[in-house]
Amino acid sequence: MEQTFKISSSPHVRDSKTTSGIMLDVVIALLPASVFGVYNFGLRAFVLILTCVVSCMLFEWASEMLLHRASTVGDFSAMVTGLLLALNLSPDVPVWMAILGSAFAIIIVKQLFGGLGQNFMNPALGARCFLLISFTGQMTTFTYDGMTTATPLAVLKSGGTVDVMDMFLGRVAGTIGEVSTAAILIGALYLVLRKVISLIIPLAYIGTFTVCIFIYSLSTGIGFEPLYIAAHLCGGGLMLGAFFMATDYVTSPITKKGKWLYGIVLGILTFLLRIYGASAEGVSYAIILSNLLVPLIEKITQPKSFGKGAELQKINGVTAVEIRKVNKLSVLIATIAIFVITFISGVALAYVHKITEKPIENAKQEAKEASYQEVFSAADSFETDEDFDREQAKALLSEAAYQADIDEIVIAKDASGDLLGYVLVVTSHEAYDGDLQLAFGITKDGVINGISFLSISETVGLGMKADTDSFKEQFAGKKVESFRYTKTTAQSDDEIEAISGATVTTNAVVEAVNAGLYYINHMEGGGR
Amino acid sequence: MGFLTFSGGIHPYDGKELTKDKPVREYLPKGDCVYPLSQHIGAPANPIVKKGDRVLVGQKIAEAGGFVSANIHASVSGTVKVIEPRLTAGGTKVNAIVVENDGLFETVDFSEHIMDLSTLYREDIKDIIREAGIVGMGGAGFPAHVKLSPKNEEDIDYIIVNGAECEPYLTSDYRRMLEESDKIILGLQICVNLFDKAKGIIAIEDNKPEAIRLMKEKLKNNEKISVNVVKTKYPQGAERQLIYANTGRYVNSKMLPADAGCIVHNIDTITAIYEAVIEGKPLYTRIVTVTGNAVNSPCNLLVRNGTSCQELIDAAGGFKEGRIPEKIIAGGPMMGKAIYSLDVPATKSVSALLCFGHDEVQDWEPSNCIRCGRCVDVCPGRVVPSMLAKYAENGDIDAFLKHDGMECCECGCCSYVCPAKRHLTQTIAGTRKQILANKKK
Repeated sequence: MEQTFKISSSPHVRDSKTTSGIMLDVVIALLPASVFGVYNFGLRAFVLILTCVVSCMLFEWASEMLLHRASTVGDFSAMVTGLLLALNLSPDVPVWMAILGSAFAIIIVKQLFGGLGQNFMNPALGARCFLLISFTGQMTTFTYDGMTTATPLAVLKSGGTVDVMDMFLGRVAGTIGEVSTAAILIGALYLVLRKVISLIIPLAYIGTFTVCIFIYSLSTGIGFEPLYIAAHLCGGGLMLGAFFMATDYVTSPITKKGKWLYGIVLGILTFLLRIYGASAEGVSYAIILSNLLVPLIEKITQPKSFGKGAELQKINGVTAVEIRKVNKLSVLIATIAIFVITFISGVALAYVHKITEKPIENAKQEAKEASYQEVFSAADSFETDEDFDREQAKALLSEAAYQADIDEIVIAKDASGDLLGYVLVVTSHEAYDGDLQLAFGITKDGVINGISFLSISETVGLGMKADTDSFKEQFAGKKVESFRYTKTTAQSDDEIEAISGATVTTNAVVEAVNAGLYYINHMEGGGR
Repeated sequence: MGFLTFSGGIHPYDGKELTKDKPVREYLPKGDCVYPLSQHIGAPANPIVKKGDRVLVGQKIAEAGGFVSANIHASVSGTVKVIEPRLTAGGTKVNAIVVENDGLFETVDFSEHIMDLSTLYREDIKDIIREAGIVGMGGAGFPAHVKLSPKNEEDIDYIIVNGAECEPYLTSDYRRMLEESDKIILGLQICVNLFDKAKGIIAIEDNKPEAIRLMKEKLKNNEKISVNVVKTKYPQGAERQLIYANTGRYVNSKMLPADAGCIVHNIDTITAIYEAVIEGKPLYTRIVTVTGNAVNSPCNLLVRNGTSCQELIDAAGGFKEGRIPEKIIAGGPMMGKAIYSLDVPATKSVSALLCFGHDEVQDWEPSNCIRCGRCVDVCPGRVVPSMLAKYAENGDIDAFLKHDGMECCECGCCSYVCPAKRHLTQTIAGTRKQILANKKK
């Protein structure tokens, strides 16, 4: 009988866990946070999640085809990346930005570095940081309940108070997936129960961060304030980062000791970036920075192989217990080394922020002065009106149903120091894409000198035409009570010709100027 | 209190329920018996019979080719048909003595070899063990008399009998413990008495409560031998892990167990020592578990050395109707060797014939490592398999050695757990073999 059987090297049995099974588990674990995000932020969040997931999978498929690699679309890893990216975006970012982020994550961070398992940092976080640097404005504008709101962490950083319960449940502003600590913890529990992640990294991370915040609050006079610590734990991307992104297999250490060390490094970096960094949040940067430290961490946390050095026991009379002690010492030294690196890099980051703070502030001031000059060319010097009361102005404007705020009033003076007029900085909330900030100059006789945009991000080719001389010149030299726009040719002084196809933008600009005029005319002591 | 154990390891499906309650049944071969001259680690044996000679059961037909080598005895009576290379379970052709079985099983009179134990010196006992051709029957086939003759005899503290039987599906040791516990205890007693201060340990996994109860009962008044319950986990029976679990001592690849004052023997080996010393019978039988989802009636067979594997399958009722197995493994699923033909003899170290109707390994294509670290968590050698495999693939021998690649015991845990289905064990084992071969040159 000639019967041949299959042969292969041992072992001949395999565990049922597969890469795609693990990735699918992560997707399932992210569902509570995703669903809550959609519930919280509405359809926009859903569109963004769908966009990221679909475009990540498409980019994966396309780049693998171009690179002649076996397709890994079926293993759900691109889906995980897309989902994580979406959960890390503000619900207000435009769809094209989500697609751009997906392309960066999959093509640049993942595929160009060798595909699945080879990326040097978490693709979703790499993309988020890329977008954060490129489009800081939109990435850090958060609306909640239709209002542009500061995130709880930003409030906390500027010394305000927050509702921790709201933060835990997710009734706050933030990115789509980070707001609800409760939803994230449900997903994390699933991952732990399915043995997809070990708790080492999250525990070390959150533990270290808590200790740092505790010491900080004691040393800065905040004192022992459990709510302050809880707010920091529930705020920002800490929970999402600790359970879903710091535990990313590819970019975290493979060894147990390495995982502990990595978590500690993350905790310290996050603390330093949050408290001393430029922005209120630091989780994303902390994680991608630590991702880069992983090869180093792994190098010094190689496990001691079974019985290493045991052959020396008898010869030198060293007992096994002593060998273990020596080993512990070397781990301690390594830990201290990494800690020092972390601390130095963290302090360096904070220090760089400190030394760049002033120049950046000066540059901003110069830019402002330049725009004042633009709208009030006759003036020789400007000084901020210290008597201006924002809250009072806000109340006055909202009484008159203006959707705009006066941010600043600057007094324009001539060479001899005599009053020439004012420059008003106004923000309109009615623009097509986010807020729009402009400055206009007005003489003491009530004649408008000119307008200039400080911040505008309208649609290119339509709304952005507002920032052209032909549009802006329509305001100059006029003395009116208020303006209105017309879609035909302007007949009188108070009519502004609308930009074709961008009446929303035109309206926002006109209303902003009107709000300023209204304030000047109705303010108590309006004679000034 | 937790049971004695080591760190790492896995819990695969153990399949033992198929055969654990099947008493051992003797199987007498019908056809020719084939005796490969290399059934052990070390030099091949030299044949001392020639074509046409008549041999009896228990007659020595090949003599050890060196100190690390073992004698081979006939297991049937008949005439020597030919001495030629024959296929073995290892997949290679090895010079073998083929004996035409006359079906009479005419046996050498062992009684003349039986000697009064009390008159024997330790060296005499070792001679008997050597003469009986006893090798480690867990799979590796290391000659037993070599293990029992360490350089540092006075330092031997423990003789450990490996009753862990951690390989899935295997039940031969379990049946032996239940059915012939006295032979094991006496065999161990003989070994313990070879050393001045040695103590005996029978280590049994906690999934064999009946064996534990029986052994504890029989040993309750024995001061020299104790029963240790070890945690059910693969590879609990790996020599180094077993030593660590039972004594807390480490053995690495540069050492022999004797360097840590330990000697480890398989259950079947210990039984063979008993039979050789007390009954005068050389090693020509062993228990083979014939099992798997493709055979009709899985069973434990007392098999004569050299019997064709085809006959063993037939003895287990043959393959199930319409279910020709895709894969047949000589040994357990974790470390056994897949055989492509049943025309191979069951040798001293074939502990099982495992027949899988479906070969699950072929279901998976290896994909990229996602660095999940599962291989690190389960590795009993505490190395980083994914990294070693990478060095091995790149041919970076220096890095492979630097990261303790030689500490791998090829247990297969890393390949088992890998979600990317990478052939980690195979890759690492290949490089280890290459390094060892280069060393010998």
